[in-house]
Amino acid sequence: MRGKFFAALTFIALGIGAQGFWSPADARISLEKCTLCHGKPEFRKILVDGKIRDLFATADSLKGSVHEKKTCVDCHFDVSEIPHRQRPQRVTCTHCHYKGNAEGAPQTDAYLDYFGSVHGTALARGNAKAPLCQDCHGSHQIRKAKDPAATVSRHEVPETCGQCHIEIYAQYKTSIHGVAVSKGIAEAPSCTGCHGEHRIYGHKDPKSTVFPTHVAEQCSTCHSSVSIMSKFGIEAEQVTTYQNSFHGVASKFGSKTVANCASCHGVHDIRPPEDPLSLVNPKNIPATCGKCHPGANPNFALGKMHVDAHKKESGIIYYTAQFFKFLTIGTMLALIAHIFLDMYGRTRRLRGE
Amino acid sequence: MSLNEKKEPKQDALEREVEAAVGEETAGLEPAEAERIRERVRARVLEEVERERRIRTAAERREEERRRREEKRREKYHEEGERFQRFNWNFRFQHMVMFSSVIILIITGMPIKFPDFVLSRYLVALWGGIHNSTLVHRIGAVMLIYFMVHHLVYTVLSRQGRRDFILLIPTPKDLRDAVQNVRHFLGKNPERPRFGRFSYIEKFDYWAVYWGCVIMIGSGLFLWFESITLKWFPKYVLDVAHEMHSDEALLATLAIIIWHFYNVHFNPDRFPGTLMWWHGQISEQEMKEEHPLEYEEIMAKRSKPEAAEVPHR
Repeated sequence: MRGKFFAALTFIALGIGAQGFWSPADARISLEKCTLCHGKPEFRKILVDGKIRDLFATADSLKGSVHEKKTCVDCHFDVSEIPHRQRPQRVTCTHCHYKGNAEGAPQTDAYLDYFGSVHGTALARGNAKAPLCQDCHGSHQIRKAKDPAATVSRHEVPETCGQCHIEIYAQYKTSIHGVAVSKGIAEAPSCTGCHGEHRIYGHKDPKSTVFPTHVAEQCSTCHSSVSIMSKFGIEAEQVTTYQNSFHGVASKFGSKTVANCASCHGVHDIRPPEDPLSLVNPKNIPATCGKCHPGANPNFALGKMHVDAHKKESGIIYYTAQFFKFLTIGTMLALIAHIFLDMYGRTRRLRGE
Repeated sequence: MSLNEKKEPKQDALEREVEAAVGEETAGLEPAEAERIRERVRARVLEEVERERRIRTAAERREEERRRREEKRREKYHEEGERFQRFNWNFRFQHMVMFSSVIILIITGMPIKFPDFVLSRYLVALWGGIHNSTLVHRIGAVMLIYFMVHHLVYTVLSRQGRRDFILLIPTPKDLRDAVQNVRHFLGKNPERPRFGRFSYIEKFDYWAVYWGCVIMIGSGLFLWFESITLKWFPKYVLDVAHEMHSDEALLATLAIIIWHFYNVHFNPDRFPGTLMWWHGQISEQEMKEEHPLEYEEIMAKRSKPEAAEVPHR
């Protein structure tokens, strides 16, 4: 009985060992065979439209990336003979990247968000220009987002998105956020800071973080934080003053046409008010307000925009608020006192005093 | 005629009842006299029953019901006596326009002042979104402006309006009345102050509406036509107007809900409310209680024949 058990164990152990030893070496194509051709520096193909497709790839191509330990055919798994006869298919990342995979890829379903996003739906509609995973994450040099060299790192994302969104990139690059990101300021938002990562939706989609009624909320994730804003000398109260203004209230109640942060400050071209190109520069305010309030004139710029009636700096507005505060308190105290005295008097008379 | 058949036994029973009652009452009288009385009562009862039968329409029945209630009330409070017309139809109409507009303005305006209050969302959703809500707010504003204009024209052109306006002007007596009233509440003074047509409370309400209308309509128009405002004024004027509009709205709402409602509806004399805003009438009892000077004035005028053309003031 014991002998049979050990025999079975040995058999199983041998089987597992054999799989480990033999299968990759024999069943797959080794890296050396690929680099026979792809390792030549001049290995490239000239396409019909005149573009040059660089096909150079060596053992160093994956060095430093998260797939450092993978071989060519782990991803290009449709290459089964060398030289391959047709062009290999685009790499399908979901081959490994799904929750429950056995390949050692991160156990996450984050990629599913992509299919509902504006990029994923564009792809599903047959838009050949819609980006796939590798368009943002890179092909051979895929790195973790925290790695500064990654194409999806905070510092690099604007350039990555700008490959397609070139005009927006040009606006963003010179905006206060773009300049801050290029300076390496960790708090400054890159594209993904506002638009999200895999869950990017068009700005007209109510799911979007930049849908008109969500803009204020999205900006306030940083702009209402005193700890972040104090570093740059920006007032964090701009968020509350907006929320208390009619624009903020109407936006809260779902108005899509009322001004949100971006309506006045710009979308990608946000600049500090001192900048003459800024939409909220006093010189430009008539034009900016005039988008909604026809006939806006320089009077729109006379007085603080984000005005807080509870602050003494607001001047006449503060004193108006104070006057009404004391008027209301005084009047209501007197009136309520009169009511209670009336009730007290009635009670006395009822008791017959 | 099933209706008549149904009525027959009822009528018989009624007649027997009358017979018995009259028989009992007339037991001591002469037979001829008793017969005469019985005949008369029977005729009266039959006439009454017949009249009852004729009241067929709902309107007739309602009218009858109202008359009966009135009679009952008179029986119960016969000391109340006459009902005076305190407010004429024009004045009541103005008041109704005003309170409808103010209700509309409050329920569409307060959610903007308190967007985080739980009910605000529903009050805005009631009109189908903030844009409709602001439109309704402007409709309310137009009603309030109309009320203001109507009242000013009424005050100038109407005889009653002019008279009331003069009576509403605060006098030193109002201050004395207020002090005396508070002393009365505290039990220091057994006498209640004797009010004229308008007590100091009513005068306060009246002038509070003037103050409120001037502030609210003024600042509201600034905010409504913001582009025109900004053509002539700097932006901080608009901010001041916004602050005034918002703060005065709260003051007015509190004053109406707490002060005005207590004095006219919720105080123990009137609870749960009065319909004076609808019929404009005041009972003699209340008149003597609340406006003794006015009552005396009316009575004095009535006793003089030359003043007979202005009764019921």
